[in-house]
Amino acid sequence: MTVTPAVVEEEEAPKKGLSFKLPLEETEMGLIAGIIAAVIVIFTGLPAVIKGVGLLLALLWGCDSVRKTSKYGLGTGVPSIGVLGTGYGVVGALMGLAVAEYGRVGQLYPAVLVGVIVMGAIGLVSGVFSNGEKFIAMKIPRLERAMMELGMAGTLAMLLEISILTGSLSFAAVVDNVMNTGLIALMFIFNCFAMLHPYNACLGPDERRERTRMVSVEISGLICVLMGLALIGLGTSPYGILDGVSLIVFGVIVWVVFFRMFIKACMDECYATVGTGMIKTIE
Amino acid sequence: MEPVMILIVGYVVIGGLLASLGAHLLPVGGAPAAMGTATGIATGTVQIMLGAVLTGLFTAASVATFTDSLLLVSLSGALGATVMICVVMFMANVLYAFGCGVVPVSGRVEVDPITKEPQAPYKTPQTDGHGVPNVVFVSGTMGGFIGGFGGALMYYALLNYAHFSAGTAAVVAFSIFVANAILAAYNIRGTIEGFHDPKFKRLPKALVSSLAVSLLCGIVVVLATIILGGAL
Repeated sequence: MTVTPAVVEEEEAPKKGLSFKLPLEETEMGLIAGIIAAVIVIFTGLPAVIKGVGLLLALLWGCDSVRKTSKYGLGTGVPSIGVLGTGYGVVGALMGLAVAEYGRVGQLYPAVLVGVIVMGAIGLVSGVFSNGEKFIAMKIPRLERAMMELGMAGTLAMLLEISILTGSLSFAAVVDNVMNTGLIALMFIFNCFAMLHPYNACLGPDERRERTRMVSVEISGLICVLMGLALIGLGTSPYGILDGVSLIVFGVIVWVVFFRMFIKACMDECYATVGTGMIKTIE
Repeated sequence: MEPVMILIVGYVVIGGLLASLGAHLLPVGGAPAAMGTATGIATGTVQIMLGAVLTGLFTAASVATFTDSLLLVSLSGALGATVMICVVMFMANVLYAFGCGVVPVSGRVEVDPITKEPQAPYKTPQTDGHGVPNVVFVSGTMGGFIGGFGGALMYYALLNYAHFSAGTAAVVAFSIFVANAILAAYNIRGTIEGFHDPKFKRLPKALVSSLAVSLLCGIVVVLATIILGGAL
């Protein structure tokens, strides 16, 4: 009697995926992204491409916070927390824009960061209520901090987009160019996507942080393209049409590079890739 | 500080509380409902509430262009949201009945509390109900009405008391609404059928959280209004 040999597991060295070495640790990421984005928000006279880099960092930070929280299972799906961050972002942007005129030096608006800080506080309060034993009791470790970070990242991203589109942070210009043109709806939904989609799409047992973050950067590239088109349409940039065009070129480059990197990382790290062929029709 | 500013905070808080209450009344099925193994609409609380309240804000904004009546604007928002949620629930039922071949049945109660129809014999074993049965439909209609009313109330306060432009008022009202609806969604944890669901008893916890967050958001809006001088 022959005994079927047990299947010998081939011991393969874990495949090294493409790595994407931005600040690796989560706290470092938050600090660096937050500080750079905050500095870029204050200087409104910068060209749109640099604001685009700030936007990319802010959204990456938001995506990281979403990932950190959603790992524990929210019960309502990943999208809810991304939408929460963007909702807070709009309220924070309103507060920031309202106080922006105070302490203004030429093209510098340091007071706009009040909105970011206020939103951090509201995020912290909502985190305490969501995690508190006597209230919603979600029991997710460090949810308070994650919600605070989400509020701040959402506000920074929203303010950076507004700054790209209007070239200033004056409330009247924002109402004319962003709110009444309806661009705010586009910004709202795309900010949501940049924060919630990466983890929502990549989650699972084999999720890897660096791979997930590639998706966020890629979506930010698409946002940059859209912002560039809107900027050309609005014609509000002090640098003329070149500003919008350079933002579009930057966005396309970011998108192509990171989309290729993500697909390559997926192909490298999966067990096998097989084609299913065309769908067969029943005869 | 003018009394109008207190009115803004008051309406934002009421709107937030109504958002939280409305979210608890909706038939949320989540991922299990997508496979036909739970009662409700096959997506999360946030998406259902967003769809309903956006429609509500559209109708409220249209009505607000030719009237200053608080009740009329709020009720039109409520009706818009109700119509939206009813259409979604009806289409979900059509798809479940004719697409999946399951009957709408509640998984949480033995007998329908409103029509007294038996539920248990029609339920597929090992599942948690299917589709949108009568009691759930009624509860969802109420949820859409209450949520839409809350959203339109916030929109009215921001438009007429804080003197924001229509676009700004809609986006800010929507954002505050979303924050409250999501806190309610965390309280629900996945799926809920409506007012007859045991999870509905957790409502006060969400209302307290909602009160705190919408109060803070209301204060932020009022501060912004005062600083901007009510001109925008």
